[in-house]
Amino acid sequence: MNTLPRTAMLALAVSTLTLTTAAYAGEVVWWTPNWGEARAKELVEKFQAANPGITIKMEVTVSDGLPARVLTALQSGAAPDIIEVQHGWVNGYAQNDLVIPLDDTIQDANDYTKAALDYVSWGGKLWAIPYRIETHAIIYNKGLWKAAGLDPEKVPQTWAELVDDAAKIAASGVSGFAITGGGEVGNTIFRSLPFIWMNGGGIVSDDVKTAIVNQPAAVEAVKFYTDFYKNGQSPASTLQNDGAANRKLFIAQQVAAYQSGQFDVPSILKEAPSTEIGVFAIPHPEGKNTAAILGGWSYVIPKDAKNPGDAKTFLQFLSTSENQAFFTDTFPARISSMDADRFKDPILSVFKSMLPYGRPVPIHKNWVQITQAYFDGIQRILTGDQDVQAAMDQANEEIQALLDQ
Amino acid sequence: MRGTGLTWPLILIGSILLVVVCLFPFVWMALSSIKTLQELYTVPPHWWPNAPTLENFAHVLFASNIPRYFLNSVIISGGSTGLALILAIFASYGFARFEFRSKPFWQAFVLVGQLLPTAAIIVPLFITLRVLGLVNTYWGLILVYMIITLPLSVWMLTSYFKAIPVELEEAAIIDGSSRLGVLFRITLPLSLPGLIAVIVYAFVTTWNEFIFALCFATDSTVKTLPIGLSEFSTEFNTDWGAVMAASMVMTVPIALLFLVFQRMFVGGLTAGATKG
Amino acid sequence: MNNRVGLYFALPALIVLFMLIAYPVAYTGLLSVTDKTGAWVGGSNFAAMLKPKVTTQAFVNTLWWVGGSIVFQVILGTAAAVLLNQNFWGRAAIRSITLIPWVVPGIVAATTWAWMFHTEFGIINYMMTSTHLVAKPVGWLTEPNLVLPVLIAINVWKLFPFVAIMVLAGLQSIPNDLYEAARVDGANFWHEVWHIMLPGVRPVLTAVTLLLVIWALNSITIIYAITRGGPANKTLITPIQIFRQAFESFSFNQAAALSVMFFAVVIVIVFIYIRVSSAEPGVAR
Repeated sequence: MNTLPRTAMLALAVSTLTLTTAAYAGEVVWWTPNWGEARAKELVEKFQAANPGITIKMEVTVSDGLPARVLTALQSGAAPDIIEVQHGWVNGYAQNDLVIPLDDTIQDANDYTKAALDYVSWGGKLWAIPYRIETHAIIYNKGLWKAAGLDPEKVPQTWAELVDDAAKIAASGVSGFAITGGGEVGNTIFRSLPFIWMNGGGIVSDDVKTAIVNQPAAVEAVKFYTDFYKNGQSPASTLQNDGAANRKLFIAQQVAAYQSGQFDVPSILKEAPSTEIGVFAIPHPEGKNTAAILGGWSYVIPKDAKNPGDAKTFLQFLSTSENQAFFTDTFPARISSMDADRFKDPILSVFKSMLPYGRPVPIHKNWVQITQAYFDGIQRILTGDQDVQAAMDQANEEIQALLDQ
Repeated sequence: MRGTGLTWPLILIGSILLVVVCLFPFVWMALSSIKTLQELYTVPPHWWPNAPTLENFAHVLFASNIPRYFLNSVIISGGSTGLALILAIFASYGFARFEFRSKPFWQAFVLVGQLLPTAAIIVPLFITLRVLGLVNTYWGLILVYMIITLPLSVWMLTSYFKAIPVELEEAAIIDGSSRLGVLFRITLPLSLPGLIAVIVYAFVTTWNEFIFALCFATDSTVKTLPIGLSEFSTEFNTDWGAVMAASMVMTVPIALLFLVFQRMFVGGLTAGATKG
Repeated sequence: MNNRVGLYFALPALIVLFMLIAYPVAYTGLLSVTDKTGAWVGGSNFAAMLKPKVTTQAFVNTLWWVGGSIVFQVILGTAAAVLLNQNFWGRAAIRSITLIPWVVPGIVAATTWAWMFHTEFGIINYMMTSTHLVAKPVGWLTEPNLVLPVLIAINVWKLFPFVAIMVLAGLQSIPNDLYEAARVDGANFWHEVWHIMLPGVRPVLTAVTLLLVIWALNSITIIYAITRGGPANKTLITPIQIFRQAFESFSFNQAAALSVMFFAVVIVIVFIYIRVSSAEPGVAR
């Protein structure tokens, strides 16, 4: 509670009296997003049948404003018992002492993808239990590939090949490879940072003390990324496009290839059933490995949870190998869950093969502001305000100031 | 007939311009609400759908939480508008008709809740509601919306009250009316257009409020329509047809209601009221 | 006469507001001078917020945003009100239609405009290119010099109905004999607008303008939904910076410091405004 000034503590002390009467023993309040609601209900029923002493109260959340809403609840002390959050948010909660460690709750820790656990660990403790992981790959339109005179089965492996193919497709009148340059910061981080990584660079050094985004490895990758727009291979609207906009342009046959996760596949198949789509791994520089950001979701238990004991019991139930395989929207965080039949769909094979290259983003209290500074730099390049080196020099300076704080 | 009036060509041009400006995006929304998913995003865009459908409306009305949230919204917006109006009528009358110490201070105080950025007050406001035991209740949102509706209502009503000639009230007081009697029998009826305008605007503002509703109403028994809109979005996808249909359901009844209300937009001060 | 009756009338409203905002105001003030652990840090949060160049940029953008929005909202709104005050067939319907931009939920309006202004999907570019008004699609929301004006236009569209309806209501309380007297003197319509209508709604315009300034200063929905402050911070305004600071970066203390500075600037504006405009008639004797 030391995140709140003393007056707040007083107010909380008064209000706990009224609240304890509202929530009764044995009730666990679970905030779960609306896209998994049906599956969540099924799990709750199963759990309650096996644990008659515990009632799970589901409160369905929506993605609009979710970070603000979760933070408001955590910060004001009126939190539920379990919340589903993105891996990337967990560190902020941990550093601000808003959630509790779950080292005593996780079972078979060796069965989890290590990168996922790293993502939600801090100061030697585990602050969340990951249940869902995913990475991007590149989704492409085989028809447009053919229309440009390319062999749709011969996909680009390296940066040079990708640039080559994108230019050929752009010559046929559609965008060869769409990048993002708008929307929420995360869109462009997810799509451009992996290129910097595979080129041996980063936004910050491994010890998270020095900004290195103006070093040659990073600058070269940023230039590679932004050139798709500069050279007319990414749509004119790039500066206002996020991942969803790129998907819509892909569906409208305006874009031949773009980066995304497997979650886009069902909507493409539904909205443009006649499009023949394929997936390939994100191309890498000659002689180097590919990379991706590991995304996904975890469960946390807020510090102010009223019923952490039962919440942990329920978490262990949610985190069994079988239930993770059932509940995830994309891939499960547990390695053994991956054997489930639903992950054997051939369209998923490339996404699956990208998982081992997935990395967590660096952990720093100012990471969101750091990404904002970097993203502003990308936008300055795309608008033509600055060249790549100048934009990254300025970003580097701003990021260093954030690291030194 | 009042005034000399504009000539009809000017009225016509002005009206057409006004209608086009106001309806342009709205028509686009309405057309989007009857498009199928495949037709929503096309390059080039088309105005009229090849295969119009009412599926989106069916989804919104029969398979979503919108009807329930509509009821919640009516209760919460109605409650907060009513409460704000009662409080504001007295406050505005005090501000409009009396001189007292540090009046500018109190008038500015009414605005304070809106001078602090929402992002700054949302957490402490949540704590306040917890202390009052009002999280997840109708009353919680109704009260919180006072922060939004009171400044508007108090300031606008003050200006309308000021526009009523003081002489009318003085005459009534000389005839033996009390202050309250004057307020309710003379000032309020004469300010009817202003009252209507304030009611409409207070109602609509709360009707569309998102961030407070999102943070202070987490249970579906009190969630409001704007939350309902966001429920058509999942992590990476939004059912735009449904959002547009739901927006129609949210917007059109209010516009129709105003069509009825605007009849009361008749000058309270008919000819000769100030004579004598 | 200087008495307390007026204050008693205002008291219930003031008490309700006090109950709601006393704690948020105190809390924000306290957060702004402490750190995460609650320890006193004096002015360092303020210093940290004033240092980045982006704070200045956001402040300048805010001035443009507020100024541009207000001028056009008031002018267009008043013009619409004068029009809707005329007697003509279909007036009732047009009055209702005028209300629509305000009734459409802010987030939906913002998204719809973003969609219509989209370089590729947008109906606006489509209409302009297909009629050969422009040769190639315009980057309405991507051209650095175009994006803030476009957002201001959207904000004007959203809020001018507020001015229109409020002023229309104000026009109703202008006594008819004023018009009659003017007509006897041979005044034409524009004389009436200038010498009767505008002076008659001055108190309304005063209040409306103040409210619009406050809303513009505190409105993040339109910008946040369309550009999130981009591209390259060209549309970043201070309230969005505060929102980012608090909810994207978890720096509630620095966000509070920025809020306090923001509050201080705005309250000064409000006080000057009230002082200037309070020299108005209509006070009970």
